Amino acid sequence: MDLQSHPQPELGRLEQIVSQFLLKSLHIVLDSRIPSLRPARDRSGNVSGISRVRKSDKWFSLQLGDRPAALDNLHFWHRNLMDPMIIDIILVREGSNSSSSMDNVYSTAAVGTSVETVIERWVVQYESPRLMATPTGESSATYKKIYKKLIILLRSLYSTIRLLPGYRVFRLLSSLTQSYDFDIIYKVSSFTEPFSRAEEEVMKHYSFLPVEALSGRLCISVTYHQTLSDFNLEPLTAFPPTIITDYVGSPAADPLKAFPSSEKGIRATSFPLRGRGVRSPSSAPFQRPHSWTSGGHRAAPFTPNQPLSGSPPAFRMPYMPYDLPTQPLDIYGHGYQLSPPFSPSQSPSPPTYFSSSNPMYSRFSSETAPVTIPLPLVGRGSRYLSPNSSDPSRHSLPPLSPRSTRHDPSSQESPSGNRSFRKTEGLRIGEYSGTTNNYSGQKVLKDSKDDSGRFSGLLSSSGSPRIGFSRCSSRLSFQDDLDDCDFSGPFDVDDVDTTDSHASQNLDGKRASEFPSLAFPMTGKSPDAAVGVLVNMLRRAPPLRQDPSCCSSHSLKTEPEGEAGAASEFFMARKTADALEELRSYKEMKDLLLSKSGAHVVTREET
Amino acid sequence: MNCEACDLKELELENFQIREVLRCILHTIVFHRALGLVRPKDIDLELFEITYVQCGDAEVERKINEKIDQFISWVEKHPNKKSQICLSFYEVKNKQASWFTNKIERRSWEYWYINLNVAQHPKAHSSKSHHSKAVVDPGESASEDRSLRRAALEASLREVLFQIIKFVNEKKDHIPSIPSAEGVSFPYEITIPSSSDSAFGMDMFKRMLQSGHPTMLS
Repeated sequence: MDLQSHPQPELGRLEQIVSQFLLKSLHIVLDSRIPSLRPARDRSGNVSGISRVRKSDKWFSLQLGDRPAALDNLHFWHRNLMDPMIIDIILVREGSNSSSSMDNVYSTAAVGTSVETVIERWVVQYESPRLMATPTGESSATYKKIYKKLIILLRSLYSTIRLLPGYRVFRLLSSLTQSYDFDIIYKVSSFTEPFSRAEEEVMKHYSFLPVEALSGRLCISVTYHQTLSDFNLEPLTAFPPTIITDYVGSPAADPLKAFPSSEKGIRATSFPLRGRGVRSPSSAPFQRPHSWTSGGHRAAPFTPNQPLSGSPPAFRMPYMPYDLPTQPLDIYGHGYQLSPPFSPSQSPSPPTYFSSSNPMYSRFSSETAPVTIPLPLVGRGSRYLSPNSSDPSRHSLPPLSPRSTRHDPSSQESPSGNRSFRKTEGLRIGEYSGTTNNYSGQKVLKDSKDDSGRFSGLLSSSGSPRIGFSRCSSRLSFQDDLDDCDFSGPFDVDDVDTTDSHASQNLDGKRASEFPSLAFPMTGKSPDAAVGVLVNMLRRAPPLRQDPSCCSSHSLKTEPEGEAGAASEFFMARKTADALEELRSYKEMKDLLLSKSGAHVVTREET
Repeated sequence: MNCEACDLKELELENFQIREVLRCILHTIVFHRALGLVRPKDIDLELFEITYVQCGDAEVERKINEKIDQFISWVEKHPNKKSQICLSFYEVKNKQASWFTNKIERRSWEYWYINLNVAQHPKAHSSKSHHSKAVVDPGESASEDRSLRRAALEASLREVLFQIIKFVNEKKDHIPSIPSAEGVSFPYEITIPSSSDSAFGMDMFKRMLQSGHPTMLS
């Protein structure tokens, strides 16, 4: 309860002057050191236009604007004007990682959390040798003279506080364009521990000439650090944190900034996003905007640890500056937790790790590869199968083997140990994806369907899209990884990806014919004719594994043997268990479709 | 009533630094002498990492800028010379009109002497280079010299500002009563060197005769 709002007539003029002097001093100090307490300011940092000046702000002819609410809470100074008012300006910095020697010298609190250092100590006091008594008989001129001197003293305080090193720190924190890993707080008290000898050695003392005020005198002094350069007060970022809209796997992501070049040996894995664009090899691996990759960009040797982190989304905003290749690493050396995913790797072979360690890169790079895999098996027909293969059919699986085999050489550019790394990290990547969003997974599914239904089938057949993504994304390029995939239902793809109507249509009308169609090229007909027949067969293909007697398709009836022969050869490259599993899943799909619209399926087939 | 004078430390600066340095010093002094209600205005120097305070009076700013322009014009006509700018605060006393004089007497109670040494440092490849030797790469040395001078000037300017603050704190008794409740309470005058040095000295002598007090250096 300050005097201004609740004037107490019994207080003498001197007491009023002294108390207001204390408040004004506190206002000047805090207004020049604590950004959060500053009132609205214009661009130049000056008090914005105030049409009506408050009476309390007119004291000592120095208009500072509205007094912060925090000052009103410090009214206890009015209780005993004889007590000194000690204002500590404290610099708070991050934890014990600071290598500044200053921390060890005069840190009042540290270790693990934050380091607090008193950079300035202001002492405002009314020194009186005896108890202050209400002066009597003093002329008005005396008070005017005292008041005038106090005006000058406060002007000096106002100017001086802007010339001290602490003002620079205040301006840094007040900056809206940069953020820092330190802060300034204050503490007001009437008693505090004195500085240690070590602290006093690096601090300087300055005292204003006291103003004699009747029975006492008003004094202002400051002890401050002569230089704050030892505190490493560096900006964290030159840009304000921004929300990254094109997060990992987002369709809106700029492909050009997403994926590295296949020349890095990443083409082995057939990550569907590959088709979206390929980065130039020179800058590829490090310019992805995504947190865990941009972190890898910044810390290339650290990339092996990228997949170990499940927290990149949490660091999305801090990662943003990492998108700028020019950002020095040390700026983010403190405060940011971006580095954990990119902490120094223990891998013995970082370069090779990079080509394979980042599953996303590897996945992205070889998206289009699966399209060409069927060639060795079925010639041109395989190409035709590509859209067909978007069908999450088991028939798309066989091409995987040669596809993966084909890419293996490129992936084998990396040491074989990387494959195991991909295996182990695939699950982690899946966890990461799962913890964040399924967008990347879904996108993978979508794109994979464009290129190879096999992959989408693989992904969709996983127990959950997320996990499937994790498993399959890393295993897309590796046959041995594929073997471990559990595909519960290819229709999960449709469930996940509803935008690919082409794939869904293929599912309904062509999956049954894939099996026989695969066998078609084996009959020895000319390629063009084979294609035409294949088209007809696909159109009239009955439901998958449907009783041939129920279907109007003749292809199934007329080509059971060829189908069997083709199937036997077709499945040569696959394991029986996988085929049976897929058969089972397709059967379930068929049953489901039949239950829903069995008549419609027949109608479509006939047309 | 005493008259106090403060002789500030000499500053070595270049032409392009005159405006900022003078604005900083003059406004700082006026801020400490404008004892009426003011809304302080923080101004960041562009050439140095120094923030000074203005009293926020538009008339004061106009008057200071005008005098600085005149001074710069004078410096251009008198290059590489030491100069002095005087800021004085006075009070007006209406002297009783007599048969011969009907003047309003001015009584200055404070003088501030701002000492400047404006040196026009030549650029690279200039024949007037202070460093007369033929430098293989004068550009780098010239820039280094400039940065050193700039740093020295910034330090000196800080010293001058602290000198002002120290003076205004130590010398308060000579200040007359505050006549105005708003803004700049005391009339002041800024005196720059005139067209010739001798004239400048004569101007100062005239001031001293008018004030009736010898200049006392603190």
